[in-house]
Amino acid sequence: MAYAYLFKYIIIGDTGVGKSCLLLQFTDKRFQPVHDLTIGVEFGARMITIDGKQIKLQIWDTAGQEAFRSITRSYYRGAAGALLVYDITRRDTFNHLTTWLEDARQHSNSNMVIMLIGNKSDLESRREVKKEEGEAFAREHGLVFMETSAKTAANVEEAFINTAKEIYEKIQEGVFDINNEANGIKIGPQHSTGGGASGAGGAGAGAAGGGCC
Amino acid sequence: MLSRFSDVLQTAADVLAPPASRLEDFQYHWKMIIHFYQNYDDCNKIHIEDTRIPHHFHQMLQLIVDEEKEQQGGTVGPCLEAVVQRSICWLDALTALAAADRPPGARSLALTTGTALLRRTRQPFVNSAHVFRPLQRMLIQCNENPASPTEREEVELLLTLCGLVRKEPGLANIFTTPFVEDKSSLLSIPEDIQKLIPLKSKVQMPKKNPLFEVEMMPNPMRNISIVRTNSKDDSAVTKSSSSIADDNASCKSQKTVYEDNDKFLLIDLLLSYLNSADNQVVLRACEGIMIVSSLPEDDIANLVTSCSPVCETIIDKLAEKYKSIPPHTDPNDVDHLNITWAYVAQDFGDKGYNKFNGYRELTSFFSWLDYCDTLMKECHPCIAAHLSRTFRAQFLESAGELALGGAGSAGGARSATLAAALLAKCLRVVDSQELINEFSNWLVGEGEMSEWPLLLSLINNCLTEDHDLTLETLRFFETIIEKGTEHSINRLVLSRVCSRGYYAPQPLLEEDERDRLNDLSLARERERNREAMKQLQHEDHINEQINDILQHEGVDTKEQPDMENIHRVINSFLLLLPRAVLSDPVGADYEHYIHDAQRHYQLWLEITSTFSWPTEQGDNTASSTHSYDSRPEADIHLDEAFRPLHRTIDKDTWTTDNEHTKDNDTRDKTECFSQKLIIRSRDVTSSVAEDFDEGPFFRMLFKLLSEMHLRPYQVNLHLTSIISKLALMPHLYLHEYLLNPMLPTTKKTQTLFKTLQDLAKKLTMEIPRIKNYKKVIENTRLQLMSEDPSYDESGDHNQLVESLIVLEEFCKELAAIAFVKYQHGMHMHR
Repeated sequence: MAYAYLFKYIIIGDTGVGKSCLLLQFTDKRFQPVHDLTIGVEFGARMITIDGKQIKLQIWDTAGQEAFRSITRSYYRGAAGALLVYDITRRDTFNHLTTWLEDARQHSNSNMVIMLIGNKSDLESRREVKKEEGEAFAREHGLVFMETSAKTAANVEEAFINTAKEIYEKIQEGVFDINNEANGIKIGPQHSTGGGASGAGGAGAGAAGGGCC
Repeated sequence: MLSRFSDVLQTAADVLAPPASRLEDFQYHWKMIIHFYQNYDDCNKIHIEDTRIPHHFHQMLQLIVDEEKEQQGGTVGPCLEAVVQRSICWLDALTALAAADRPPGARSLALTTGTALLRRTRQPFVNSAHVFRPLQRMLIQCNENPASPTEREEVELLLTLCGLVRKEPGLANIFTTPFVEDKSSLLSIPEDIQKLIPLKSKVQMPKKNPLFEVEMMPNPMRNISIVRTNSKDDSAVTKSSSSIADDNASCKSQKTVYEDNDKFLLIDLLLSYLNSADNQVVLRACEGIMIVSSLPEDDIANLVTSCSPVCETIIDKLAEKYKSIPPHTDPNDVDHLNITWAYVAQDFGDKGYNKFNGYRELTSFFSWLDYCDTLMKECHPCIAAHLSRTFRAQFLESAGELALGGAGSAGGARSATLAAALLAKCLRVVDSQELINEFSNWLVGEGEMSEWPLLLSLINNCLTEDHDLTLETLRFFETIIEKGTEHSINRLVLSRVCSRGYYAPQPLLEEDERDRLNDLSLARERERNREAMKQLQHEDHINEQINDILQHEGVDTKEQPDMENIHRVINSFLLLLPRAVLSDPVGADYEHYIHDAQRHYQLWLEITSTFSWPTEQGDNTASSTHSYDSRPEADIHLDEAFRPLHRTIDKDTWTTDNEHTKDNDTRDKTECFSQKLIIRSRDVTSSVAEDFDEGPFFRMLFKLLSEMHLRPYQVNLHLTSIISKLALMPHLYLHEYLLNPMLPTTKKTQTLFKTLQDLAKKLTMEIPRIKNYKKVIENTRLQLMSEDPSYDESGDHNQLVESLIVLEEFCKELAAIAFVKYQHGMHMHR
């Protein structure tokens, strides 16, 4: 299916916070209470519309367990957006956010849009992390924040789509160089002929610019 | 209403008979499965998905997961215990189903159920023989027959086992040959189960399964372990302690006990999936290999490198993918690729995606290279060392060398061009230090540079008439320098320069230098001619600009005694070309160059900070002949020193001896420099008359530079870019050699500045012969600056004028670099 842009997302966070469930809810609109442990990367994709443009989200769901961190890290590269997820019923998952954030910032490009997600908002009775704490953390680190429930689907669409909107705005502002796929953004096939040619020329001229200015 | 009624019924029933325990439920589902198979008829063509078997399996799994949630502190629940104790032979049944595939689809179900059991339970007790024997048997099913319909399920099981090993390294023992039962017993499924689920035909020896490629020991159950186990065995459950070597036995053997024939089956099996056509399968195999390789245990790393051909297979695959790149791939397409591993599958589906000749092969190759690079960064240092050695031997030396060296043969230039582009891209994208080191060492070699054939053929490739080959090879060199290691930069650039053999004070030459800077004939000409007036104004303008910049950059002209010198250095570059032929006489972009140079110089300072290059620190010893001049601005002081030195030489012979200079200890500061120079001159340039051999690399650069007017714009851009990178390096002698226009040398010793002068002379003579040359220069500049791609492709180029503009800009760049390094030195000495 034709799309204007493709954005690469990663979902990261401690094991058991509901990363795979968020993905399943977003792509298949269903909830699966028992989920196999994620070891490698799981892919998901869905088309969304922003500003009348078709945007394909290619989502990389990663393993949360410490033992698999070595492969998880290698998937950060070239992501335009990240959902950093914690579980509002488990404080330790919130406490680990700093480590995740450092890891993500170190292994991905600096413009990556990061959305902080407090998942399992349906389990209000077991809540250990206040919403205000999530908000404060997000504010402090320049993230967007949202509480979601992969079970009831509350805010799940919004989490993925708002991240995409933010990326889209950055493209409009020229923050993201869309010709560089290392930024996690690809121009859709319909643009490819024009885009490809000017990309090639631009790079040649870019070298020239290096010598002249 | 109905539901309420049923609730009531249920409650009534519960009173009469309490609800079944979890174990009873579990046994119920097991009985239903046995019942199904007791009545199963092979003639019935039903698919397993149309039976109740998946449901029963699912329920059994769920019961185990549920009971585990309630268990305290790692104790095992009754359902799982029944499986582990083999009172319910569920795992054996799964193994039998995986082998028999009855009814159709059972194999896939058995594999996914086994995988799910291992992934959903926190403690699957794999170190119990009743668990790992069936798992081992199930592995037999994972033998990647080409396009096996269950390859995805197979590789998921393998990945899951890798995950278990990652968490409990001792489990690796289960997947090595000494711990696998002999073949026949491995193939045989326990009788009770076999009776239930008979195999239609005799089990075939799996063809590609490494389990069956080795001769098993007669008694394979030796009580040894390759990997020292430190698992806290829950012997409460795993009563069969014979399955795992006891900790003492394994710890005693400091020497790991594996033999030539021993294999690490888990990894070997994964390797067989690397050739799958399904990218998802390849991805899982790659992940499995990475998970196991990243274990910090030395034993596992030894096992991986010694008992499995994993490094060799991975690099062979890289070489294979390299060779499959079509020879007519356009080198220009190579550079724009940005590929990470695990990503490949997505693109190929998009037919409309901008493809070009070789896109698929290039993507596949660079994706694999990225995997190798990632693996290098994440794996155990032992594996990394082995992998990088293999990378050099089986990829660089076999695939790369052949293509790069064959430029002379028919069609060789084309393949050498593509090879240079590909290998440059490889070097640009690799990030792990081991691969960069291996790459650099392969390129620059050891020992005498002129004896390293690969480097010489690369240098020769730059000097051919084939501009494409020159361009790609230059870009390769550019990358080699950008990704330079201390060794590669020393070998390529510094090996000759660091002897300072170029330095040879020559009174006559010095006169020449002075003449050049203050050319009398030119001065006379100036007076006659209006253009010359402009030139004078131009020079004034440049001088003012330089002053402005110096002041703006915080260098106070009054405070700095050496100001005059840096001024002269900058002037030498900026006034190299006469105003009449300049395309940009205003020089509006100096500031730009200075800022670029500052940025790049900082980068170089960081890169080289770990190098053992001479720095100003630690040079305070009197014996050090290099002391003062280690600063980048050495040229200034050399020059400053040079005048008194010159006087000294006039008075005596130039080899003023040490005694003489010692007599002059009371001289002013300036003259002290000369003293040092004299000492050094005696030390270093013992044979004064000898011309300096700049070595093949500089010789090539200077030759190309002197012939800039004969080569296309792009070649010249990359050439000057390489030289400016070298000029930025914070190395004392390299700096002096490249950036000191007043450097005294023998007549025949080639330097950057002399080469530029010659070229400038040539261009200044040639260009005014072009009709309406000023207009041509102006237009060419506009076109080059417009960055219009159609200009590159059009045949209508004035190469001569283009090279003039490159030279003009290059001079500005060099002046900026000299200034920035001077400025940095000043800051350091404040």
